[in-house]
Amino acid sequence: MKNRTPAWLKPDMIWKVFGTAFFVYLFFGFMLLPCLNTLSQIFTTRNAAGQIDPFAVLRFFFAGNMPRFLWNSLKLALALVVTVNVVGVSIVLLTEYFEIKGAKILRMGYMTTLIYSGVALVTGYLFLYDSDGILTTWLMELFPGMNKYWFTGFNAVLFTMTFACTSNHMLFLRNAIRGIDYNTVEAARNMGAKPFKVLLKVVFPTLIPTMFSLTVMTFITGLCAMSAPTLLGYDSINPEIVRLAGSSVADEAFPQARAALLSIILAMFTIILLTVLSSYERKGHYLSVSKTKAKLVKQKITNPVANVLAHIYAYVLFIIYMTPVVMIVLFAFQNYPAIRSKTLSMNEFTLINFFGAKDYEFLTNRGKLRIREGSISGLFANADTVGGIRLSFVLSALAAGLACVIVVVAVNYIFKNKDKKRSTVLEYSLLFPWLLPTILICYSYRTYFNSESVWYVFNQNLYLRDNVRFLIVMAYTVVKLPFALRMIKAAFYAIDEELEDAARNLGASGFWTFCKVKLPIILPSVLAVFALNFNALFTEYDMSATFHSSYGKSYAMVIQNMCAEEGRDGYNVNASGRRCASTVFIMIVSGVILYLVYGVGARDLGERLEAKERRRRRMQKLTAPFRKVKTEVTSVQRSAP
Amino acid sequence: MIELKNIVVKFDDFEALHNINVDVKEGEFFTFLGPSGCGKTTTLRTITGFIEPVSGTVNVNDEDITHVPIEKRNIGIVFQSYALFPTMTVYDNIAFGLKVKKLKKNEIDAKVREIARKVDLSDEQLKKAVSQLSGGQQQRVAIARALVTGPAIICMDEPLSNLDAKLRVQLRNELKKMQKDFGITTIYVTHDQEEALTLSDRIAVFNKGYIEQVGTPNEIYNHSATEFVCNFIGDINRIEDTVAEKMGLLSDKNHFVRLERLRVNRPAEADETQVEGTIENREYYGLYIKYYIRTGDQTLKVIEKNDGINIYEPGEKVTVGIHKADVMSYPKQ
Repeated sequence: MKNRTPAWLKPDMIWKVFGTAFFVYLFFGFMLLPCLNTLSQIFTTRNAAGQIDPFAVLRFFFAGNMPRFLWNSLKLALALVVTVNVVGVSIVLLTEYFEIKGAKILRMGYMTTLIYSGVALVTGYLFLYDSDGILTTWLMELFPGMNKYWFTGFNAVLFTMTFACTSNHMLFLRNAIRGIDYNTVEAARNMGAKPFKVLLKVVFPTLIPTMFSLTVMTFITGLCAMSAPTLLGYDSINPEIVRLAGSSVADEAFPQARAALLSIILAMFTIILLTVLSSYERKGHYLSVSKTKAKLVKQKITNPVANVLAHIYAYVLFIIYMTPVVMIVLFAFQNYPAIRSKTLSMNEFTLINFFGAKDYEFLTNRGKLRIREGSISGLFANADTVGGIRLSFVLSALAAGLACVIVVVAVNYIFKNKDKKRSTVLEYSLLFPWLLPTILICYSYRTYFNSESVWYVFNQNLYLRDNVRFLIVMAYTVVKLPFALRMIKAAFYAIDEELEDAARNLGASGFWTFCKVKLPIILPSVLAVFALNFNALFTEYDMSATFHSSYGKSYAMVIQNMCAEEGRDGYNVNASGRRCASTVFIMIVSGVILYLVYGVGARDLGERLEAKERRRRRMQKLTAPFRKVKTEVTSVQRSAP
Repeated sequence: MIELKNIVVKFDDFEALHNINVDVKEGEFFTFLGPSGCGKTTTLRTITGFIEPVSGTVNVNDEDITHVPIEKRNIGIVFQSYALFPTMTVYDNIAFGLKVKKLKKNEIDAKVREIARKVDLSDEQLKKAVSQLSGGQQQRVAIARALVTGPAIICMDEPLSNLDAKLRVQLRNELKKMQKDFGITTIYVTHDQEEALTLSDRIAVFNKGYIEQVGTPNEIYNHSATEFVCNFIGDINRIEDTVAEKMGLLSDKNHFVRLERLRVNRPAEADETQVEGTIENREYYGLYIKYYIRTGDQTLKVIEKNDGINIYEPGEKVTVGIHKADVMSYPKQ
């Protein structure tokens, strides 16, 4: 009997139509239109007479103080490029290239930024260097005349961000330096080159491509900095955009259009930099031509003075990296009087910053004893904090999951239709958010969807009440699409095309092949992308600040609030302790995720089976004495009459 | 059994196969041999269904399967990379095709264990991940997976190319034995002439999308139909005009002679032409010795059995004997 189902009703066709509609909806609805709306805001500003004046904002830009924000951001970005590269290259060379005593411990210290970043890191630095921070308090005791508000403004932001932004150096530059063929170093030495010359002429040139990428990324990070300038008081573009977004015409001249203009300026910078980066990447890199690569052997610094100085430098950096982390961890287990007086004591050891709640007793001005019930509360007992954790957990998980699903489906399609234009269009549309600063996307969402006239979201105001959570999930998802695409596409490249052919030859359908053959291969990468995205979003600050509302109070916002709320009339007296506990909690979550991704997730089936076998043998060894006893008992019982 | 009739395959404007005609008999070990890009894999993929020809037909047992979907052709494939699913155990790899066919669990188990036994895979190995097996064991898994569904034909695309030389020789023998045991019609693709000569019942030599010759290993080696086949199979001496003239060979043809057919410092035989030369260089291979002998305008390569007595030194004067019957001649192009 002939199959009479029309072609357009076949499952393949339905999937194609549904998929196309979905991606068109996603791209136009949640990427292009909101951003175009932002762009149009600049040129549709109304002047005092109520007429549309396309250049009003631009005139205001040059006449007002807006260039200051731009210059501040540029200044920060430029300074960061220098400081981050100096520190980043130093820590990589100190741990991977030179023979420095205690390199393993140093490496661990330098890598703490991988599990401790963003708003948690900034609040950690504040805990140490703020006007009532531990270090400031100690310094004030030593130098009573010093300015206790010393850790603020440009220098504070630069210092904090310098040490916060070296994670990429520890990941990528470290890999690049480990990939150097040691034979090239030996060859140069053999030809009479001094160690410094080898470093300069042989090692550095191979690192230039990675350093170039890192420099561009650092510049963009500096330009788009949000949490550090906000918390440390520095007038840069992003905090100003968020401020303007929340302002109204009644307060100042066309705030929305100014915010839009600043966002577009950021976008232009980002686009130019990324274009430069990709054209540089297209030129190609230095590729090792070695057939048999020799593993890099660490170089001893032969000059004793230089060696001592290098060790001092390494350990000073280590102290800078580790002090906030150690202090945060230690004070997370201290009670509020100890935290306030910044004195560590074993007698004040407590878990109250994590679990449980206590009442707070205090004397009023009139000498009355008052009790504020439950004012001392742990991380997991404080309704606000738990609410923030729960919301961030759910929204981040949803967004990370959604980004992975969208990208897996898209990349599968892209690989199936490799040489077709439509797959190129799909790929570029998913990379589109990469060109735009996060703040532009979020700001665009906030203004565009803050109305009931967007038909394709059923005329719902998505910035209103609970709806903002949907908006946050969409923003999180869209922002994470390019990263997910790059990573998952790389995973798809690892699939041998013959596997698909083999599955087809054995009779498997496309869907079966995808589920049983391709998906298990890419699953570790997909889960890694999910985990890394989740990790980044869980404590994400920039977007949360833009969407800030009582219905969308994420964990990062809760942490930020903890900096300000402590001690007012006996409320939240242990907010600082809870902030420390929050940072410890974040470090544990990030650490576990990184372990799962790079430790467990990187193992293939063979390694997993071997590990299982080792576990079984270890278990057998452990239970051997008991089994022996059991056997003896059984034989005794059997031999008994 | 398998009949390719006037197969033409095009990739856009490029014609990869020009009018290919092949007839493979049942139970035969048939090899497609040729250099890279000659069309041998394309022909194999046309048989298996991954490529659809522009014209021509693929027949199996007189049934036209040219447009039959891949999975319905009943042809097993062993891929160049083996294409074993890395996320599955050896057992699951072999069982994959049976699971797709939705066979019962106990039936799958019985079939997997039976084929595993036949290809010499132990129960312990079935539990392992494919990455835990050696190259040879992986090849056996690939063969077991291709055979477990009971195909009528098995196609192998350079399955030994990723292995080291020693293992390649060992597995070559195992492969041949397995093919004889199963009695299955096998189409084998390789660019390695030694592999083709040792394994095959018959060989088709490909060049630039054409088949130059189909024949037994002996026919291909000793009676090469074209100059390309003669040059591609084994090492060969091209006889220069001065020597050819002395031998009375036609001048409008190119003449070739295999290395092992030349005789050094032997008494002249009937129909043999002897030329004088000087040992230019010597390569010692243990079992035999290869000499480079300068004779007038050309250097002849000669292989002599290593008897431990008649070993010539560079610079030594020798005579080289060439039988007219050993010369293969092809028209000059």
